[in-house]
Amino acid sequence: MLRVFFKKEYQIQSLMQRYLDELKLTKEHFLQALNSYFDKGLCEEFDFLLNQTHKAESEADDVRYEIETLMYSKALIPESRGDILGLLEALDRIPGLFQLLLYMIQNQKLKIPDFLVQDIRELTTVTLACCDLLCKEVEALFKKTEDIKALVQSIDTNESRCDHIERQIISKIFDSDLDPFEKLQLKEVVIAMGDISDQADRVSRRIYIISIKRRV
Amino acid sequence: MFSLLGGIYLGWSLGANNAANVFGSAVASRMVKFSTAAILASLFVLLGALLEGQAGIETLRGLTSLNPQTAVISSVAAACTVTIMTVFGLPISTSQAAVGAILGIGLLNNQLNLPGLGKVLACWLGTPVGGLIIGITIYKGLAAVYNVANIDLIKSDVLLRVSLIAAGSYGAYALGANNVANVAAVFVGAGLLTVFSATLIGGLSIGCGILTFSRPVMETVGKKLVRLDAFSALVVVLAVAFTAHIYAFVGVPVSTSQAVIGAVLGIGILRGVNTINRRTLMHILVGWFLTPIVACLLAMALNFAIHLRYVPSGSG
Repeated sequence: MLRVFFKKEYQIQSLMQRYLDELKLTKEHFLQALNSYFDKGLCEEFDFLLNQTHKAESEADDVRYEIETLMYSKALIPESRGDILGLLEALDRIPGLFQLLLYMIQNQKLKIPDFLVQDIRELTTVTLACCDLLCKEVEALFKKTEDIKALVQSIDTNESRCDHIERQIISKIFDSDLDPFEKLQLKEVVIAMGDISDQADRVSRRIYIISIKRRV
Repeated sequence: MFSLLGGIYLGWSLGANNAANVFGSAVASRMVKFSTAAILASLFVLLGALLEGQAGIETLRGLTSLNPQTAVISSVAAACTVTIMTVFGLPISTSQAAVGAILGIGLLNNQLNLPGLGKVLACWLGTPVGGLIIGITIYKGLAAVYNVANIDLIKSDVLLRVSLIAAGSYGAYALGANNVANVAAVFVGAGLLTVFSATLIGGLSIGCGILTFSRPVMETVGKKLVRLDAFSALVVVLAVAFTAHIYAFVGVPVSTSQAVIGAVLGIGILRGVNTINRRTLMHILVGWFLTPIVACLLAMALNFAIHLRYVPSGSG
Protein backbone atom coordinates (compact mmCIF):
# COMPACT_ATOMS: atom_id res chain seq x y z
CA MET A 1 0.00 0.00 0.00
CA LEU A 2 2.71 2.47 1.06
CA ARG A 3 4.70 1.61 -2.07
CA VAL A 4 1.95 3.19 -4.18
CA PHE A 5 2.19 6.55 -2.40
CA PHE A 6 5.94 6.52 -1.78
CA LYS A 7 7.24 5.29 -5.14
CA LYS A 8 10.37 7.48 -5.07
CA GLU A 9 11.43 6.18 -1.65
CA TYR A 10 11.13 2.53 -2.65
CA GLN A 11 12.77 3.33 -5.99
CA ILE A 12 15.77 4.63 -4.03
CA GLN A 13 15.84 1.35 -2.09
CA SER A 14 15.95 -0.71 -5.29
CA LEU A 15 18.47 1.66 -6.93
CA MET A 16 20.75 1.28 -3.91
CA GLN A 17 20.58 -2.49 -4.43
CA ARG A 18 21.45 -1.99 -8.11
CA TYR A 19 24.38 0.20 -7.08
CA LEU A 20 25.62 -2.53 -4.74
CA ASP A 21 25.29 -5.10 -7.55
CA GLU A 22 27.45 -2.89 -9.79
CA LEU A 23 29.95 -2.42 -6.96
CA LYS A 24 30.15 -6.20 -6.49
CA LEU A 25 30.59 -6.66 -10.24
CA THR A 26 33.41 -4.07 -10.29
CA LYS A 27 35.03 -5.97 -7.42
CA GLU A 28 34.68 -9.31 -9.27
CA HIS A 29 36.28 -7.94 -12.46
CA PHE A 30 39.02 -6.32 -10.38
CA LEU A 31 39.82 -9.63 -8.69
CA GLN A 32 39.82 -11.53 -12.00
CA ALA A 33 42.07 -8.88 -13.56
CA LEU A 34 44.54 -9.12 -10.65
CA ASN A 35 44.55 -12.92 -10.79
CA SER A 36 45.16 -12.78 -14.52
CA TYR A 37 48.05 -10.35 -13.92
CA PHE A 38 49.59 -12.54 -11.22
CA ASP A 39 49.32 -15.63 -13.45
CA LYS A 40 50.17 -14.22 -16.87
CA GLY A 41 51.45 -10.67 -16.34
CA LEU A 42 50.24 -7.82 -18.54
CA CYS A 43 48.28 -9.53 -21.32
CA GLU A 44 45.13 -9.14 -23.46
CA GLU A 45 43.03 -10.88 -20.84
CA PHE A 46 44.15 -8.32 -18.22
CA ASP A 47 43.29 -5.44 -20.59
CA PHE A 48 39.89 -6.96 -21.25
CA LEU A 49 39.15 -7.40 -17.52
CA LEU A 50 40.38 -3.86 -16.79
CA ASN A 51 37.93 -2.65 -19.42
CA GLN A 52 35.15 -4.70 -17.78
CA THR A 53 36.08 -3.15 -14.40
CA HIS A 54 35.89 0.31 -15.97
CA LYS A 55 32.48 -0.45 -17.50
CA ALA A 56 31.06 -1.72 -14.20
CA GLU A 57 32.47 1.35 -12.42
CA SER A 58 30.78 3.61 -15.00
CA GLU A 59 27.50 1.72 -14.52
CA ALA A 60 27.80 2.26 -10.76
CA ASP A 61 28.35 5.98 -11.45
CA ASP A 62 25.22 6.10 -13.60
CA VAL A 63 23.15 4.47 -10.85
CA ARG A 64 24.60 6.94 -8.35
CA TYR A 65 23.54 9.90 -10.53
CA GLU A 66 20.07 8.35 -10.90
CA ILE A 67 19.76 8.16 -7.10
CA GLU A 68 21.01 11.74 -6.73
CA THR A 69 18.48 12.99 -9.28
CA LEU A 70 15.69 11.25 -7.35
CA MET A 71 16.94 12.87 -4.15
CA TYR A 72 16.85 16.32 -5.72
CA SER A 73 13.24 15.66 -6.74
CA LYS A 74 12.44 15.74 -2.99
CA ALA A 75 12.35 12.04 -2.21
CA LEU A 76 12.94 11.23 1.48
CA ILE A 77 13.09 13.61 4.44
CA PRO A 78 15.91 16.20 4.34
CA GLU A 79 18.20 14.53 6.87
CA SER A 80 17.94 11.18 5.07
CA ARG A 81 18.71 12.89 1.76
CA GLY A 82 21.91 14.33 3.23
CA ASP A 83 22.87 11.00 4.80
CA ILE A 84 22.36 8.99 1.61
CA LEU A 85 24.10 11.54 -0.64
CA GLY A 86 27.10 11.54 1.71
CA LEU A 87 27.10 7.75 1.90
CA LEU A 88 27.00 7.40 -1.89
CA GLU A 89 29.85 9.87 -2.34
CA ALA A 90 32.01 7.96 0.16
CA LEU A 91 31.00 4.53 -1.20
CA ASP A 92 31.66 5.54 -4.79
CA ARG A 93 35.36 6.08 -4.08
CA ILE A 94 35.81 2.30 -3.71
CA PRO A 95 35.08 1.26 -7.35
CA GLY A 96 37.20 4.27 -8.34
CA LEU A 97 40.12 2.87 -6.31
CA PHE A 98 39.72 -0.59 -7.95
CA GLN A 99 39.99 1.02 -11.34
CA LEU A 100 42.87 3.30 -10.32
CA LEU A 101 44.91 0.34 -9.09
CA LEU A 102 44.48 -1.60 -12.33
CA TYR A 103 45.41 1.48 -14.39
CA MET A 104 48.54 1.92 -12.24
CA ILE A 105 49.58 -1.64 -13.07
CA GLN A 106 48.82 -1.17 -16.77
CA ASN A 107 50.22 2.33 -17.31
CA GLN A 108 53.37 1.89 -15.24
CA LYS A 109 54.03 -1.60 -16.73
CA LEU A 110 54.39 -2.81 -13.18
CA LYS A 111 56.34 -5.98 -12.41
CA ILE A 112 55.63 -7.59 -9.06
CA PRO A 113 58.58 -9.69 -7.86
CA ASP A 114 57.78 -13.32 -6.96
CA PHE A 115 58.63 -12.89 -3.27
CA LEU A 116 55.79 -10.36 -2.94
CA VAL A 117 53.04 -12.15 -4.90
CA GLN A 118 51.78 -14.25 -2.00
CA ASP A 119 51.58 -11.25 0.36
CA ILE A 120 49.82 -9.08 -2.20
CA ARG A 121 47.34 -11.89 -2.91
CA GLU A 122 46.62 -12.07 0.83
CA LEU A 123 46.23 -8.27 1.03
CA THR A 124 43.80 -8.44 -1.91
CA THR A 125 41.75 -11.22 -0.24
CA VAL A 126 41.39 -9.33 3.06
CA THR A 127 40.68 -6.03 1.26
CA LEU A 128 37.92 -7.61 -0.82
CA ALA A 129 36.49 -9.28 2.31
CA CYS A 130 36.18 -5.75 3.74
CA CYS A 131 34.24 -4.72 0.62
CA ASP A 132 31.92 -7.75 0.87
CA LEU A 133 31.16 -6.93 4.50
CA LEU A 134 30.59 -3.30 3.54
CA CYS A 135 28.03 -4.31 0.90
CA LYS A 136 26.23 -6.37 3.58
CA GLU A 137 26.29 -3.35 5.89
CA VAL A 138 24.72 -1.09 3.24
CA GLU A 139 22.03 -3.75 2.67
CA ALA A 140 21.45 -3.92 6.42
CA LEU A 141 20.91 -0.14 6.51
CA PHE A 142 18.27 -0.35 3.79
CA LYS A 143 16.69 -3.72 4.65
CA LYS A 144 17.65 -4.49 8.26
CA THR A 145 19.08 -7.84 7.14
CA GLU A 146 21.98 -8.02 9.60
CA ASP A 147 23.31 -6.37 12.74
CA ILE A 148 25.18 -3.24 11.61
CA LYS A 149 27.33 -3.02 14.74
CA ALA A 150 28.67 -6.57 14.26
CA LEU A 151 29.51 -5.79 10.64
CA VAL A 152 31.34 -2.57 11.64
CA GLN A 153 33.48 -4.61 14.05
CA SER A 154 34.27 -7.24 11.41
CA ILE A 155 35.29 -4.56 8.89
CA ASP A 156 37.43 -2.88 11.51
CA THR A 157 39.21 -6.17 12.27
CA ASN A 158 39.82 -6.80 8.57
CA GLU A 159 41.06 -3.25 8.04
CA SER A 160 43.58 -3.66 10.87
CA ARG A 161 44.73 -6.90 9.27
CA CYS A 162 45.15 -5.06 5.94
CA ASP A 163 47.25 -2.36 7.63
CA HIS A 164 49.44 -5.04 9.14
CA ILE A 165 49.98 -6.84 5.81
CA GLU A 166 50.57 -3.50 4.09
CA ARG A 167 53.35 -2.60 6.56
CA GLN A 168 54.85 -6.07 6.18
CA ILE A 169 54.95 -5.80 2.38
CA ILE A 170 56.48 -2.31 2.47
CA SER A 171 59.19 -3.57 4.84
CA LYS A 172 59.92 -6.49 2.51
CA ILE A 173 60.12 -4.11 -0.47
CA PHE A 174 62.65 -1.86 1.22
CA ASP A 175 64.65 -4.80 2.62
CA SER A 176 65.07 -6.18 -0.90
CA ASP A 177 67.72 -5.44 -3.52
CA LEU A 178 65.22 -3.96 -5.94
CA ASP A 179 65.95 -0.80 -7.87
CA PRO A 180 64.96 2.28 -5.72
CA PHE A 181 62.56 3.42 -8.45
CA GLU A 182 60.85 -0.01 -8.45
CA LYS A 183 60.66 0.11 -4.63
CA LEU A 184 58.79 3.44 -4.72
CA GLN A 185 56.58 2.21 -7.55
CA LEU A 186 55.61 -0.96 -5.62
CA LYS A 187 55.08 0.99 -2.41
CA GLU A 188 52.65 3.26 -4.23
CA VAL A 189 50.63 0.27 -5.45
CA VAL A 190 50.55 -1.33 -1.99
CA ILE A 191 49.38 1.94 -0.42
CA ALA A 192 46.66 2.26 -3.09
CA MET A 193 45.49 -1.25 -2.22
CA GLY A 194 45.49 -0.30 1.49
CA ASP A 195 43.37 2.77 0.67
CA ILE A 196 40.52 0.48 -0.37
CA SER A 197 40.18 -1.11 3.08
CA ASP A 198 40.70 2.29 4.76
CA GLN A 199 37.86 3.74 2.69
CA ALA A 200 35.66 0.68 3.44
CA ASP A 201 36.28 1.26 7.14
CA ARG A 202 35.39 4.97 6.84
CA VAL A 203 32.15 4.19 4.97
CA SER A 204 31.33 1.47 7.50
CA ARG A 205 31.60 3.97 10.39
CA ARG A 206 29.50 6.48 8.48
CA ILE A 207 26.75 3.85 8.04
CA TYR A 208 26.91 3.09 11.75
CA ILE A 209 26.40 6.80 12.56
CA ILE A 210 23.47 6.98 10.10
CA SER A 211 21.86 3.99 11.83
CA ILE A 212 22.36 5.24 15.40
CA LYS A 213 21.07 8.68 14.38
CA ARG A 214 17.77 6.92 13.73
CA ARG A 215 17.46 5.83 17.33
CA VAL A 216 15.75 8.43 19.52
CA MET B 1 -22.65 40.37 5.83
CA PHE B 2 -20.69 43.66 6.03
CA SER B 3 -20.81 43.48 9.83
CA LEU B 4 -19.06 40.07 9.69
CA LEU B 5 -16.05 41.39 7.77
CA GLY B 6 -13.92 41.95 10.89
CA GLY B 7 -14.48 38.35 11.95
CA ILE B 8 -13.84 36.99 8.47
CA TYR B 9 -10.57 38.95 8.26
CA LEU B 10 -9.61 37.63 11.71
CA GLY B 11 -10.35 34.06 10.53
CA TRP B 12 -8.36 34.60 7.35
CA SER B 13 -5.29 35.88 9.24
CA LEU B 14 -5.68 33.06 11.80
CA GLY B 15 -5.58 30.51 8.98
CA ALA B 16 -2.66 32.24 7.24
CA ASN B 17 -0.59 32.37 10.44
CA ASN B 18 -1.47 29.25 12.41
CA ALA B 19 -1.49 26.52 9.74
CA ALA B 20 2.31 26.76 9.95
CA ASN B 21 2.21 25.30 13.45
CA VAL B 22 0.70 22.06 12.18
CA PHE B 23 2.00 21.68 8.62
CA GLY B 24 5.00 24.03 8.56
CA SER B 25 7.70 21.44 9.18
CA ALA B 26 6.35 19.07 6.51
CA VAL B 27 5.98 21.81 3.87
CA ALA B 28 9.22 23.70 4.60
CA SER B 29 11.24 20.49 4.29
CA ARG B 30 9.39 19.54 1.06
CA MET B 31 8.07 16.35 2.64
CA VAL B 32 4.55 17.37 1.69
CA LYS B 33 3.54 19.63 -1.21
CA PHE B 34 2.07 22.96 -0.13
CA SER B 35 -1.10 22.30 -2.15
CA THR B 36 -1.66 18.93 -0.40
CA ALA B 37 -0.99 20.42 3.04
CA ALA B 38 -3.21 23.47 2.38
CA ILE B 39 -6.13 21.36 1.11
CA LEU B 40 -5.86 18.89 4.01
CA ALA B 41 -5.47 21.66 6.60
CA SER B 42 -8.41 23.72 5.34
CA LEU B 43 -10.67 20.64 5.15
CA PHE B 44 -9.77 19.49 8.66
CA VAL B 45 -10.03 23.02 10.09
CA LEU B 46 -13.57 23.24 8.74
CA LEU B 47 -14.40 19.77 10.12
CA GLY B 48 -13.00 20.65 13.55
CA ALA B 49 -14.88 23.94 13.62
CA LEU B 50 -18.20 22.32 12.65
CA LEU B 51 -17.91 19.25 14.90
CA GLU B 52 -16.25 20.62 18.03
CA GLY B 53 -16.18 24.41 17.82
CA GLN B 54 -19.30 25.03 19.94
CA ALA B 55 -17.69 24.80 23.40
CA GLY B 56 -15.27 27.66 22.73
CA ILE B 57 -18.05 29.80 21.30
CA GLU B 58 -20.13 29.24 24.45
CA THR B 59 -17.19 30.33 26.65
CA LEU B 60 -16.35 33.51 24.73
CA ARG B 61 -19.97 34.62 24.26
CA GLY B 62 -20.43 34.17 28.02
CA LEU B 63 -17.61 36.61 28.89
CA THR B 64 -19.84 39.66 28.43
CA SER B 65 -23.13 40.61 26.84
CA LEU B 66 -22.80 41.94 23.32
CA ASN B 67 -25.08 43.66 20.85
CA PRO B 68 -24.56 43.72 17.07
CA GLN B 69 -22.64 47.00 17.30
CA THR B 70 -20.23 45.89 20.08
CA ALA B 71 -19.77 42.52 18.35
CA VAL B 72 -18.55 44.28 15.22
CA ILE B 73 -16.35 46.63 17.31
CA SER B 74 -14.69 43.73 19.16
CA SER B 75 -14.06 41.73 15.98
CA VAL B 76 -12.59 44.78 14.20
CA ALA B 77 -10.45 45.59 17.27
CA ALA B 78 -9.14 42.01 17.39
CA ALA B 79 -8.44 42.04 13.64
CA CYS B 80 -6.60 45.39 13.90
CA THR B 81 -4.55 44.06 16.85
CA VAL B 82 -3.45 41.04 14.82
CA THR B 83 -2.42 43.36 11.97
CA ILE B 84 -0.54 45.75 14.29
CA MET B 85 1.33 42.89 16.01
CA THR B 86 2.23 41.42 12.60
CA VAL B 87 3.52 44.81 11.36
CA PHE B 88 5.75 45.09 14.46
CA GLY B 89 6.90 41.49 13.98
CA LEU B 90 5.62 40.30 17.36
CA PRO B 91 4.19 36.80 17.85
CA ILE B 92 0.43 36.81 17.37
CA SER B 93 -2.18 34.99 19.41
CA THR B 94 -5.55 35.46 17.74
CA SER B 95 -7.19 33.96 20.85
CA GLN B 96 -5.67 36.65 23.06
CA ALA B 97 -6.62 39.38 20.62
CA ALA B 98 -10.25 38.16 20.49
CA VAL B 99 -10.56 37.80 24.27
CA GLY B 100 -8.77 41.14 24.84
CA ALA B 101 -11.28 42.91 22.58
CA ILE B 102 -14.27 41.27 24.32
CA LEU B 103 -12.72 42.25 27.64
CA GLY B 104 -12.54 45.90 26.50
CA ILE B 105 -16.25 45.91 25.64
CA GLY B 106 -17.05 44.14 28.93
CA LEU B 107 -15.09 46.72 30.94
CA LEU B 108 -16.93 49.60 29.25
CA ASN B 109 -20.31 47.96 29.83
CA ASN B 110 -19.30 46.96 33.34
CA GLN B 111 -20.56 43.47 32.51
CA LEU B 112 -17.68 41.06 32.86
CA ASN B 113 -18.00 37.37 33.66
CA LEU B 114 -15.01 37.14 36.03
CA PRO B 115 -15.13 33.33 36.62
CA GLY B 116 -15.24 32.84 32.84
CA LEU B 117 -12.31 35.23 32.39
CA GLY B 118 -10.39 33.40 35.14
CA LYS B 119 -10.90 30.12 33.29
CA VAL B 120 -9.58 31.69 30.08
CA LEU B 121 -6.51 33.18 31.80
CA ALA B 122 -5.75 29.87 33.52
CA CYS B 123 -5.88 28.11 30.16
CA TRP B 124 -3.56 30.70 28.60
CA LEU B 125 -1.02 30.00 31.33
CA GLY B 126 -1.62 26.30 30.86
CA THR B 127 -1.04 26.30 27.08
CA PRO B 128 2.79 26.40 26.96
CA VAL B 129 2.96 24.24 30.10
CA GLY B 130 0.50 21.78 28.53
CA GLY B 131 2.53 21.77 25.30
CA LEU B 132 5.67 21.06 27.33
CA ILE B 133 4.18 18.20 29.39
CA ILE B 134 2.37 16.63 26.44
CA GLY B 135 5.49 17.05 24.27
CA ILE B 136 7.67 15.24 26.82
CA THR B 137 5.08 12.45 27.28
CA ILE B 138 4.63 11.90 23.53
CA TYR B 139 8.37 12.01 22.92
CA LYS B 140 9.07 9.34 25.54
CA GLY B 141 6.19 7.10 24.41
CA LEU B 142 6.88 7.38 20.68
CA ALA B 143 10.64 7.03 21.14
CA ALA B 144 10.16 3.75 23.01
CA VAL B 145 7.94 2.33 20.25
CA TYR B 146 10.20 3.65 17.47
CA ASN B 147 13.35 2.17 19.01
CA VAL B 148 11.74 -1.23 19.65
CA ALA B 149 10.39 -1.35 16.07
CA ASN B 150 13.99 -0.99 14.77
CA ILE B 151 12.93 -0.40 11.16
CA ASP B 152 15.13 0.25 8.13
CA LEU B 153 15.98 3.69 6.76
CA ILE B 154 13.34 3.81 4.01
CA LYS B 155 10.48 2.47 6.17
CA SER B 156 11.45 4.86 8.96
CA ASP B 157 11.40 7.73 6.48
CA VAL B 158 8.03 6.76 5.03
CA LEU B 159 6.58 6.23 8.50
CA LEU B 160 7.72 9.69 9.63
CA ARG B 161 6.24 11.34 6.54
CA VAL B 162 2.89 9.55 6.89
CA SER B 163 2.83 10.40 10.59
CA LEU B 164 3.61 14.06 9.88
CA ILE B 165 0.72 14.26 7.40
CA ALA B 166 -1.66 12.50 9.82
CA ALA B 167 -0.52 14.60 12.78
CA GLY B 168 -0.79 17.78 10.68
CA SER B 169 -4.35 16.89 9.68
CA TYR B 170 -5.26 16.16 13.29
CA GLY B 171 -3.58 19.43 14.31
CA ALA B 172 -5.66 21.30 11.74
CA TYR B 173 -8.81 19.64 13.11
CA ALA B 174 -7.88 20.69 16.66
CA LEU B 175 -7.03 24.20 15.41
CA GLY B 176 -10.48 24.55 13.85
CA ALA B 177 -12.23 23.14 16.93
CA ASN B 178 -10.28 25.38 19.28
CA ASN B 179 -9.89 28.64 17.39
CA VAL B 180 -13.15 29.08 15.49
CA ALA B 181 -14.59 30.79 18.59
CA ASN B 182 -12.09 33.66 18.14
CA VAL B 183 -13.65 34.40 14.78
CA ALA B 184 -17.32 33.82 15.38
CA ALA B 185 -18.22 33.85 19.11
CA VAL B 186 -18.98 37.58 19.27
CA PHE B 187 -21.53 37.29 16.46
CA VAL B 188 -23.30 34.42 18.21
CA GLY B 189 -23.27 36.45 21.44
CA ALA B 190 -24.87 39.39 19.64
CA GLY B 191 -27.49 37.16 18.02
CA LEU B 192 -26.18 37.88 14.50
CA LEU B 193 -25.42 34.21 13.76
CA THR B 194 -26.51 30.78 14.96
CA VAL B 195 -23.81 28.50 16.39
CA PHE B 196 -23.82 26.37 13.21
CA SER B 197 -23.57 29.29 10.79
CA ALA B 198 -20.86 30.85 13.02
CA THR B 199 -18.74 27.67 12.95
CA LEU B 200 -19.32 27.35 9.20
CA ILE B 201 -18.32 30.95 8.41
CA GLY B 202 -15.44 30.79 10.91
CA GLY B 203 -14.17 27.47 9.54
CA LEU B 204 -14.44 28.69 5.94
CA SER B 205 -12.60 31.95 6.65
CA ILE B 206 -9.76 30.11 8.46
CA GLY B 207 -9.61 27.62 5.59
CA CYS B 208 -9.49 30.50 3.12
CA GLY B 209 -6.53 31.99 5.00
CA ILE B 210 -4.72 28.64 4.83
CA LEU B 211 -5.36 28.23 1.11
CA THR B 212 -4.43 31.77 0.09
CA PHE B 213 -1.67 33.04 2.36
CA SER B 214 -0.21 30.39 4.66
CA ARG B 215 2.71 29.40 2.41
CA PRO B 216 5.22 32.15 3.38
CA VAL B 217 4.50 31.64 7.09
CA MET B 218 4.80 27.86 6.70
CA GLU B 219 8.18 28.32 5.01
CA THR B 220 9.58 30.55 7.79
CA VAL B 221 8.01 28.92 10.87
CA GLY B 222 8.48 25.44 9.41
CA LYS B 223 12.20 25.92 8.86
CA LYS B 224 12.62 26.75 12.56
CA LEU B 225 10.87 23.48 13.42
CA VAL B 226 12.80 21.48 10.85
CA ARG B 227 16.04 22.49 12.57
CA LEU B 228 14.88 19.90 15.06
CA ASP B 229 14.93 16.45 13.46
CA ALA B 230 11.91 14.92 11.71
CA PHE B 231 11.00 12.83 14.76
CA SER B 232 11.03 15.85 17.10
CA ALA B 233 9.05 17.91 14.56
CA LEU B 234 6.42 15.14 14.59
CA VAL B 235 6.33 15.22 18.40
CA VAL B 236 5.86 19.02 18.35
CA VAL B 237 2.97 18.82 15.87
CA LEU B 238 1.28 16.05 17.90
CA ALA B 239 1.77 17.97 21.16
CA VAL B 240 0.22 21.10 19.61
CA ALA B 241 -2.70 19.07 18.25
CA PHE B 242 -3.40 17.36 21.59
CA THR B 243 -3.05 20.62 23.56
CA ALA B 244 -5.40 22.51 21.23
CA HIS B 245 -7.87 19.60 21.23
CA ILE B 246 -7.92 19.36 25.04
CA TYR B 247 -8.63 23.09 25.30
CA ALA B 248 -11.31 22.73 22.62
CA PHE B 249 -13.03 20.24 24.98
CA VAL B 250 -12.58 22.68 27.87
CA GLY B 251 -13.99 25.38 25.62
CA VAL B 252 -11.16 27.91 25.73
CA PRO B 253 -9.45 29.12 22.56
CA VAL B 254 -5.68 29.09 23.04
CA SER B 255 -2.61 29.96 21.00
CA THR B 256 -1.11 27.07 19.02
CA SER B 257 2.12 29.09 18.70
CA GLN B 258 2.47 29.04 22.49
CA ALA B 259 1.83 25.29 22.54
CA VAL B 260 4.63 24.92 19.95
CA ILE B 261 7.03 26.85 22.20
CA GLY B 262 6.11 24.61 25.16
CA ALA B 263 6.62 21.41 23.16
CA VAL B 264 9.96 22.58 21.69
CA LEU B 265 11.15 23.52 25.20
CA GLY B 266 10.06 20.08 26.45
CA ILE B 267 12.15 18.34 23.79
CA GLY B 268 15.06 20.60 24.71
CA ILE B 269 14.75 19.56 28.38
CA LEU B 270 14.65 15.85 27.44
CA ARG B 271 17.69 16.12 25.20
CA GLY B 272 19.55 18.54 27.44
CA VAL B 273 19.92 21.12 24.70
CA ASN B 274 18.86 24.72 24.29
CA THR B 275 16.13 24.63 21.64
CA ILE B 276 14.94 28.22 21.98
CA ASN B 277 17.16 31.23 22.64
CA ARG B 278 16.44 33.81 25.35
CA ARG B 279 15.70 36.58 22.83
CA THR B 280 12.95 34.50 21.16
CA LEU B 281 11.44 33.75 24.58
CA MET B 282 11.45 37.46 25.49
CA HIS B 283 9.83 38.24 22.15
CA ILE B 284 7.08 35.72 22.88
CA LEU B 285 6.53 37.03 26.43
CA VAL B 286 6.17 40.61 25.19
CA GLY B 287 3.64 39.45 22.58
CA TRP B 288 1.85 37.36 25.23
CA PHE B 289 1.28 40.43 27.46
CA LEU B 290 0.79 43.06 24.77
CA THR B 291 -1.76 41.28 22.54
CA PRO B 292 -4.75 41.25 24.96
CA ILE B 293 -3.88 44.72 26.28
CA VAL B 294 -3.68 46.29 22.80
CA ALA B 295 -6.91 44.55 21.73
CA CYS B 296 -8.69 45.67 24.92
CA LEU B 297 -7.59 49.32 24.52
CA LEU B 298 -8.41 49.30 20.83
CA ALA B 299 -11.93 47.95 21.45
CA MET B 300 -12.49 50.62 24.10
CA ALA B 301 -11.18 53.37 21.80
CA LEU B 302 -13.33 52.18 18.88
CA ASN B 303 -16.39 51.99 21.11
CA PHE B 304 -15.67 55.51 22.40
CA ALA B 305 -15.18 56.84 18.86
CA ILE B 306 -18.44 55.33 17.61
CA HIS B 307 -20.39 56.94 20.43
CA LEU B 308 -19.00 60.42 19.80
CA ARG B 309 -21.78 62.80 18.73
CA TYR B 310 -21.32 65.96 16.73
CA VAL B 311 -22.89 68.82 18.61
CA PRO B 312 -23.03 72.04 16.54
CA SER B 313 -21.66 74.98 18.53
CA GLY B 314 -24.63 77.29 17.92
CA SER B 315 -27.34 74.78 18.74
CA GLY B 316 -27.69 75.82 22.41
